[in-house]
Amino acid sequence: MSSLSLKDIRKSYALGGNAVQALKDVDLEVRPGEMVALTGPSGSGKSTLLNVCGLVDTPDSGRREIAGQSVDGLSAAELTELRRRHIGFVFQSFNLVPVMTAYENVEYPLLLLGKKTTERKKLVWETLDRVGLAEFGHRLPDALSGGQRQRVAIARALVKSPALVIADEPTGNLDSATASQVIELLGELTRERGAAAVVATHDERMTHSCDRAIRLVDGELQ
Amino acid sequence: MRWLIFSLRNAIRNKRRSLTALAITAVGTTAVLIGGGFALFTYQSLREISARDTGHVVLGAREFFGGDEDLPMQNGLAGSPELAKRLQGLPGVRAVLPRIQFSGLISNGDKSAVFIGAGVLPEADFRVRGPQMRFTDGEPFGAGATAPEIVIGQDLAQLMKAKVGSGLTLLATTTEGNLNAVDVTVRGIVTVGVPDIDKRLVMTDVAAVQRLLLTDKVSTLSVYLKETGATDDTAARVHAALPQLAVRTWLDLAVFYQAVRDLYNRIFGVLGAIMVVIVLFALSNTMAMAVAERTREIGTLRAIGTHPREIVRNFVLEGVAIGAGGAAAGMLVAAAATVLLTFAGIQMPPPPGRSTGYPLLVNFSAALYAATGAAVIAIAALASWFASAKAARKPITEALSHV
Repeated sequence: MSSLSLKDIRKSYALGGNAVQALKDVDLEVRPGEMVALTGPSGSGKSTLLNVCGLVDTPDSGRREIAGQSVDGLSAAELTELRRRHIGFVFQSFNLVPVMTAYENVEYPLLLLGKKTTERKKLVWETLDRVGLAEFGHRLPDALSGGQRQRVAIARALVKSPALVIADEPTGNLDSATASQVIELLGELTRERGAAAVVATHDERMTHSCDRAIRLVDGELQ
Repeated sequence: MRWLIFSLRNAIRNKRRSLTALAITAVGTTAVLIGGGFALFTYQSLREISARDTGHVVLGAREFFGGDEDLPMQNGLAGSPELAKRLQGLPGVRAVLPRIQFSGLISNGDKSAVFIGAGVLPEADFRVRGPQMRFTDGEPFGAGATAPEIVIGQDLAQLMKAKVGSGLTLLATTTEGNLNAVDVTVRGIVTVGVPDIDKRLVMTDVAAVQRLLLTDKVSTLSVYLKETGATDDTAARVHAALPQLAVRTWLDLAVFYQAVRDLYNRIFGVLGAIMVVIVLFALSNTMAMAVAERTREIGTLRAIGTHPREIVRNFVLEGVAIGAGGAAAGMLVAAAATVLLTFAGIQMPPPPGRSTGYPLLVNFSAALYAATGAAVIAIAALASWFASAKAARKPITEALSHV
């Protein structure tokens, strides 16, 4: 069973009165534990494909399955539930909630899932420890470096052991040394937890650390 | 609890903005509580004055209330001593006082003036009237005086050049339509704070008035109760016991009280509505700015599986936290002002038609505080809901790309 399956995905946008075809008959299968790098020039449709994979955008046509479950025809509330259970996100700008500590940011997805306090504590501290930030759990994001923030974001994405991780340029805002650490960490954690990952990136090192790379040009996979 | 803590942290994220909204809410709450408390004090005072003046329940002949008389006491009440005895036996009754309303001329030998008189029971009637009738000289007339004695309004006393101990003559039309006169001695000079009454008022013993008017009737029987709250029950009981008579409560007869209450309800109602709008705008503005600033964060939370209703709930909690803080601060200020005014002894100028001012006091009402607090919290929740509902339903991709 694939963690993510896309079939004949099409998506177009209206831009200045013209329809722009962002995705053209895209097919993609990602297995559990597999990390796929999504590359391509700017405007090729990478972000659109990530949004479609992460159930935050709806294709015009085609079929999607997450963890073996078809998502076609689901309501917005049902899609939210699916994202809550099965999908983790890592953003280029980290997107941590500034009023929550590192611990609380990582705990947030578990709160949404209604996990009990003891279970939450255990999972959060384990995950923070795994990303090397156990001693920074009580710090607010503002008191963390860029690399530390991205590690918190990775912990937040993976703490619930999702079926799929969507990462959009996760090293885009990091220096070279920190980026290497984050690439390594993301790869290790997704594999450890059996999550599939789709990572949009321009970073060659990121591409090489993935199990495979796919290239999107003008909305078509090559 | 966790969501409330996150909301509180969000509320202090932009301290200056939240404090401004909180301060506006506090000022609005204070204004409503002080205005409302002042209105309650006024209602209470006027209620007290009205009830003390007329009695809580007033009985008369059926034709008495609203009917015209061709001759004095034509619509009077016969057999008042027996009726008073029966009424005195009702539960919660403090006193039953016969009264005669009459009018005529008062003369000092040199000049005459029109008076409006009240025949009352000596001593007892002055006891129930309380501080609204103030003696500027002399004292109430007592029972058993050899010659009729009167208490007179201060402006009328001035007009008649009368002092305590002065002799005057009352002229009135009898129940048979003839003129009758009685010589009286001034025992006390009073003011009720209303110049139009002070220059006409004459009070004397009800028995002396009956002799003057040649009648054994009285105009009304005023029933005074131990508790004003028991008025309606007692009126119903009296009506059931004496269906042949007309029964009125102090509220039926308190035209001034009702007029003031209607006026104040409108004034303070408008004030309250203005405060609601101000607080609504202040909180809406604060929450709208918070929502706009956090659109990207909303997108992130939506992406990781937060429902729009949960986003809205968090903003509502945040708005309610600011609103509740403002309401609490406003309540504290209003309570402090209430206590301060109690001891400050500030006098309001006399209202139109009166010659004496009244103390500026504000009543504390737990119900008013609770209702105001609840209203502010409801407004805050509404403002936050309005501000965040649309943003929470914005497409996630759009929210995430918000700059």
